[in-house]
Amino acid sequence: MRILIIEDDKDVASFIERGLEQAGYVVDRAETGKDGLFLATTESYDALIIDRMLPGVDGLTIVRTIRASDIHVPVLILSALDEVTDRVDGLKAGGDDYLVKPFAFVELQARIEALLRRQTTATDSELTMLEVADLKMDLLRRQVSRGGTNIDLQQREFLLLEYLMRHVGQVVTRTMLLEAVWGYHFDPQTNVIDVHMSRLRAKIDKDFDPPLLHTVRGAGYRLEVEKT
Amino acid sequence: MIWKSVNSRLIFRTSAFQLAVIYAALFLVSVLVLFGTLYWATIGSVSRQIDATIESEILGLAEQYERRGLNGLVDVLTERVSRSDDGGSIYLFADSGLRPISGNLRRWPSATPAADGQIEFETSLGAGQSTRYRANILSVGPNYRLLVGRDIRELVQLTVVFQRAAIWGVVAVLILALAGGVFMSFSAQRKLAGINRTARRIIDGDLSERVPITGTHDEYDELATNINEMLTQIEALLGNVRHVGDSIAHDLKTPLTRLRNRLESLAGGGTAMSPELEKCVAEADRLLATFNALLRIARIESGAFRTAFSTVNLSDVVEGACDLYHAAAEEKGISLNFKSKSVATMYGDRELLAQAIANLLDNAVKYTPRGGNIEIAVNDEPDHLELVVTDTGRGVPEADHDRIQQRFIRLDAARSEPGNGLGLSLVKAVTDQHRGRLVMQNLQPGLKVSMELPRGGIDSVVPAEPTTN
Repeated sequence: MRILIIEDDKDVASFIERGLEQAGYVVDRAETGKDGLFLATTESYDALIIDRMLPGVDGLTIVRTIRASDIHVPVLILSALDEVTDRVDGLKAGGDDYLVKPFAFVELQARIEALLRRQTTATDSELTMLEVADLKMDLLRRQVSRGGTNIDLQQREFLLLEYLMRHVGQVVTRTMLLEAVWGYHFDPQTNVIDVHMSRLRAKIDKDFDPPLLHTVRGAGYRLEVEKT
Repeated sequence: MIWKSVNSRLIFRTSAFQLAVIYAALFLVSVLVLFGTLYWATIGSVSRQIDATIESEILGLAEQYERRGLNGLVDVLTERVSRSDDGGSIYLFADSGLRPISGNLRRWPSATPAADGQIEFETSLGAGQSTRYRANILSVGPNYRLLVGRDIRELVQLTVVFQRAAIWGVVAVLILALAGGVFMSFSAQRKLAGINRTARRIIDGDLSERVPITGTHDEYDELATNINEMLTQIEALLGNVRHVGDSIAHDLKTPLTRLRNRLESLAGGGTAMSPELEKCVAEADRLLATFNALLRIARIESGAFRTAFSTVNLSDVVEGACDLYHAAAEEKGISLNFKSKSVATMYGDRELLAQAIANLLDNAVKYTPRGGNIEIAVNDEPDHLELVVTDTGRGVPEADHDRIQQRFIRLDAARSEPGNGLGLSLVKAVTDQHRGRLVMQNLQPGLKVSMELPRGGIDSVVPAEPTTN
């Protein structure tokens, strides 16, 4: 997987580069908007990480230009601006996700993985059935079962599980869950998400084997059949 | 409009009115002195002249008696009576039984003489109407009395006219002085009302408010200008202090995030972290959360979100937040109920309102003991929406209701619970941005927190009421 980072802050850029390389990605870096735009339009990448404020051509212009050139690579916008309008502007320009600086690397990694995943399963929206091991989710009938046994989920639990199942095998952070299920871009004072997750785990994992929902320390959650 | 706003009961307590009353009293005294002087100089002078005429006539007649005896006196009297046929002077010579002997008065007047021997009485000389006279009495020898008097009709008329003029004058002066006083106090009050209103708004938290300047360049304008300059100064200083605080939070956030990332990379990218390292990451996360909350409040207070206001259904927002906390409440055996499900639209920011409600619920869940109740309601009041969160926790001492809305204020009783003391500050900031009012009330047991939110958002304001502590 090839990822391009367009970021003028060398510290931030090299920190992302190091992290992503450790995670097994191939990383290119550009320090100005012009170089970045050149690379993004001439080379082929699986994802772009673009800082919003760049010398020369700014981040949003780059996104608009590559979208206008019919390049549908997933774009994660980094920004120090955190107003609702800033976020909306970023997504309107053609960005796929928006991450406010400074951020924890796990958050960036989880979001990049989610974007890459979205790319490979672009037809997700047409899916009517999600399956992870013996856990099945019928999106049309809003039903969940595991090993043939029906599991009764409340609406938000259903949405949480749907998001996890759509991102199976990936780390999903609490912030991502809050954004996806509640549409909130703020952190609650206490980790109420954890309570929801433990209730969800009790419903889908307690009476079944193997456990599917895993807590990733310092990051979030992951739904998968753990390889032993 | 302004006149109505001035409480009439308070008018009498204003210094302007008190000053007006004092001026009215002073005015009255000087008018009285003026009238007194006029009286003394006009009527007093006429009266004294009459007295002098009577006196000199009596002295003349006494001299005649001494020189020419009783008959001489009667002759002179007869001559004088005939000379005064206009009735301007009266004379009566009588014996010891006050029986008339000579003169133009038919009988001795029944009036009792005053201490100085003068008497005033009314009588008629001929068939004409009665006239008022003033007279002096002289004892002539042991057996006779002589009365000499003058017509004081004109003096009496003059006095009546003067008195009438004086009474009307004093009444007019009193009315004018009081009316002037009331007018003065009203106009002073009106000018001060602008200053007071501004001060009130500033106390309520709107530092951008300024005192209106009337443009008359009077001392009130000067005061208003000075107050406005002072306010600008204070606002700038406050802004500086806040800015410094926010810059610190902002500047520390980046290195702190870097620290967190280093800690994580120490773990070597694997999922297994040593417990010590895990605690360090958690600690860094807690610090970051505090900085984030602080910056979030600063951004809310800066009004940055107001541009993104739109029409939101408060009931929907509450429902979302309830969904978020309902699991946490249930885990603690607390029942969380949202009563009204009606549509309650207002102009505001969905995200901010959700965060404020989430914080209120967070507190309620935290401080309500196991088995308790949390009730949430959205009430459709005539001029605003009211969001009420009621819990059955231990409540908050009333003296602390204002204090806990400030940043980093945590009551001793809350120290055992996790938190950074910023939750309610955010609720307050969100309420303020929506021009609303945050009201707390102890229920024994429990706490009731109400957010009173005007539907119009920016333009309408929930009127401030004096806080009853």
